[in-house]
Amino acid sequence: MGTRGTLGRLVRWIDGLWRAVTSLLEVALETIGFGSDVDLHTRVTFRAVTDAVLPETPALGTELGDEHVPGGLAIALDEFVITYVDDGFQLGLPHIGPHGNIRLADPIAHALDFAALTLCDRSENESEPSPDRPVSLLDPGEASPEAVRDAAGAFSKLSRKDRLRAISILDEFELSVTPGVDDLFEFDAGLVGQLVVGFTEMIYYSEWQGYDEFTQPRASASTRTIRPPSRAGARPDFPASRTDTPRSAGTSGRTTDRSGAAKRGRPSTRTPRHRSA
Amino acid sequence: MVAESYDAVVVGAGGDGPVAAWKLGEAGLSVLLLEAGPFYGNEQWPKPNEESGGEASSSTADLSGDLLDEQFTTREFEMINKLLFGPADHERGFWFRKFPGDGAILQCAGVGGTTLHYTGCHPRAYPASIDEQGHWPIDYADLLPYYREVEKLCEVTPAPVTAKEELFFRGAARAGWEFVDDHNVTEPGYRPQPNAIRPPDAKLHVDGGYDGGFTYPDVRGDTLALGNIAGNPHPRGAPYEEKAKRASNVSFVPAALRTGNVTIRPNAFATDVRTETPLGDSPAATGVAFRDTWTGRTESVEAEVVILAAGAIETPRLWLNADLPRNEWVGRGLTIHFGDNVMGLWDGTDLEGILGKRTIDQHQGQDIAARFDYPGLGMLQTVGTGPGIGAILGFGASASGFAFQNDPDDAPWDTMGRLAGAELKRLLSDYRRMLQILVVSDDRPHQRNGVTVSEALSDEHGPIPLVNYEPSRGDRQRRDELAEIAAEILREAGAAHVHRSDSPPTALHVHSTMRMGKVVDEACEAYDVDRLFVADHSALSNGVGGANPTNTGQALAARTADRILERYF
Ligand SMILES: Cc1cc2nc3c(=O)[nH]c(=O)nc-3n(C[C@H](O)[C@H](O)[C@H](O)COP(=O)(O)OP(=O)(O)OC[C@H]3O[C@@H](n4cnc5c(N)ncnc54)[C@H](O)[C@@H]3O)c2cc1C
Repeated sequence: MGTRGTLGRLVRWIDGLWRAVTSLLEVALETIGFGSDVDLHTRVTFRAVTDAVLPETPALGTELGDEHVPGGLAIALDEFVITYVDDGFQLGLPHIGPHGNIRLADPIAHALDFAALTLCDRSENESEPSPDRPVSLLDPGEASPEAVRDAAGAFSKLSRKDRLRAISILDEFELSVTPGVDDLFEFDAGLVGQLVVGFTEMIYYSEWQGYDEFTQPRASASTRTIRPPSRAGARPDFPASRTDTPRSAGTSGRTTDRSGAAKRGRPSTRTPRHRSA
Repeated sequence: MVAESYDAVVVGAGGDGPVAAWKLGEAGLSVLLLEAGPFYGNEQWPKPNEESGGEASSSTADLSGDLLDEQFTTREFEMINKLLFGPADHERGFWFRKFPGDGAILQCAGVGGTTLHYTGCHPRAYPASIDEQGHWPIDYADLLPYYREVEKLCEVTPAPVTAKEELFFRGAARAGWEFVDDHNVTEPGYRPQPNAIRPPDAKLHVDGGYDGGFTYPDVRGDTLALGNIAGNPHPRGAPYEEKAKRASNVSFVPAALRTGNVTIRPNAFATDVRTETPLGDSPAATGVAFRDTWTGRTESVEAEVVILAAGAIETPRLWLNADLPRNEWVGRGLTIHFGDNVMGLWDGTDLEGILGKRTIDQHQGQDIAARFDYPGLGMLQTVGTGPGIGAILGFGASASGFAFQNDPDDAPWDTMGRLAGAELKRLLSDYRRMLQILVVSDDRPHQRNGVTVSEALSDEHGPIPLVNYEPSRGDRQRRDELAEIAAEILREAGAAHVHRSDSPPTALHVHSTMRMGKVVDEACEAYDVDRLFVADHSALSNGVGGANPTNTGQALAARTADRILERYF
């Protein structure tokens, strides 16, 4: 941690997070069994994360091929990541019953804003924050530009690269926040990077978008079926490494060329819907 | 039906618990094996994630390869989510535990435990880690007969070699390392993994020109289709016990059931260890209370001996929540093989010259089939993953921020840190020409590292575990040295670009939180509670030198069963 001022802010941030999670647990209590609409601030922030970690990359089209152009937003990865982190963990607290999954997306979005503010506070941002960036992350008509500007936090106003820098700052906090602070939030700060970078990357490069009901909790896995691609999401030409097709036949000291693996390039069926700085 | 009392109750049907259950059952004891997670591939639970199903299983007749085929889909993301430590009811999130930093603990729930994820690597400990590091009260030689017993039942054989292993061996040899040809490794060098995965059918050999199907009975043994982390149900169509990967659900669980004396009760989370103090001195274990994870109902069962095998996080958690006597080492001394990932990327033309083809195709063969041992430092192993797991392990997590923020200068790698954006896409577009090396270091048990329980936060099974892990300078140095060796091997193998993750502490291997010599004695019976034994990786006195730990955990559990029989039956 750099300065006293930042430390004070960090403590306030922790307090804020504590309150946010406490109230979220209460919300979870009330809404057992029901989904709740994702708050606009959270939606914009997760779009900003997805757009920074897996952006649309037009320049890669000529270099590597068209399937390398669409980003995570083109396949609604942001929506899935929100569902995933909201459904992913539970305390099953006796007083909220067995379905008390902890909704983490909102506190994560606030943690990202805090990181963004710290980045700017330290003048470590390369580009100026802009209120237009969050607006450009939503489809026209999804929400009014005014509403988006009101709801958007500091993180979504950063350039893509500065957003990544902000995520790195969170790593620093978890190392610095030590005694006297509730343990849960030490965990949460560390978890943020893992969930928003690591999991976003894993999900993007895995087979999730082939699921019928990919927005459902980890549940229903046994009722999901792989369907032909319909969401945009053209992605790199990986072999079908998760199908049952055996692909190698070498057994000793020899290499093999028997791939037997079907290609799983996914033709783009619609143009990516988001563009942002 | 679960009875009211048994000779022995084992808590946890993971890697090691079923070994103890098998040995005790074979000796004629009645054994109840409690497991927090579901039982996949068992006809008592046709829809294990949707319905509570049956109560318990005591017969191999319940085991079904067809059900396992249906439930283990091999889809990477889906299977990881299915197997990770959480309740059978998949409407509910994972069980929560706190780990410092942006690292993570990877453990599974379900019969087979974390061996459902494991890649079948079954080497022995480095003898020096047991005989020379000063942590173990027993000798390496004491484990040898048990290693042999375990290796026989798990059918351990050297892993088959495909392109990625060939590349690795080439790099290691050119870097000047020797080939190792011994199970008991005392010198550094490289070798194929001793894997608990049945070898592929001889007709699949590359020279065989095999053109048939890949389902049983056309082929038997491994089909070389990767997928061990996702459970590996291959070959499809095979009966349950003919699946190639000898995870403990396929190896020791049927062996235990076949004794006719073992009952397995899944969806049963142990929450308390009951004790009595008949003579007014040290307490003695008398049974276990457990909670049905579907109904929430708590039941209890009595036993002559209780054996904790809930893994190196949950065993100490259960001890602490059961309010058993506090010994200053309960939960302490955690080792996780503080790891890292170093990736090599090749040019197609270079590969053509080396392998005779332009791709490595890491998705072919077994996940982890080649290794480099360095007693005193740890080990390296090649890893083949699907792109999703590869992305999170290799590029999604780092303790040094993003690659664009680091200047590796004259480090032996070209880039270090997380990758995102165009850089990530560019590298992953070359997935088929990439090889990942997992660095696994011989971290040492430190008392500050380990498991405590939260005072503030409980779930339905009591205060949640808080895990602390901060490697020492020596641990870091050993890891750095191994990462440098990995980079050199990749370069010597012709890699054009080398990337180091500098991964945050990520716990795939978790051990030594209830250490023999500190919490349990040489028979793995608790010093402070009679008739209470530990038979999982938490009883290991250290991290076995950095070698994959399951063979040693299972050998020790087999030995513990013999000691239990000697002491109490
Ligand atoms: C991706 C991956 C790959 C791996 N590959 C290898 C490898 O190739 N070779 C190797 O040697 N090791 C490997 N490992 C590690 C190996 O799987 C573990 O070391 C091993 O399974 C540990 O055995 P255990 O019995 O100590 O614990 P576990 O296997 O974790 O078993 C503990 C069991 O207890 C249950 N349980 C927990 N709490 C309770 C409770 N209170 N009541 C009832 N039941 C409970 C759990 O659900 C679980 O089934 C790998 C791990 C991972 C994550």
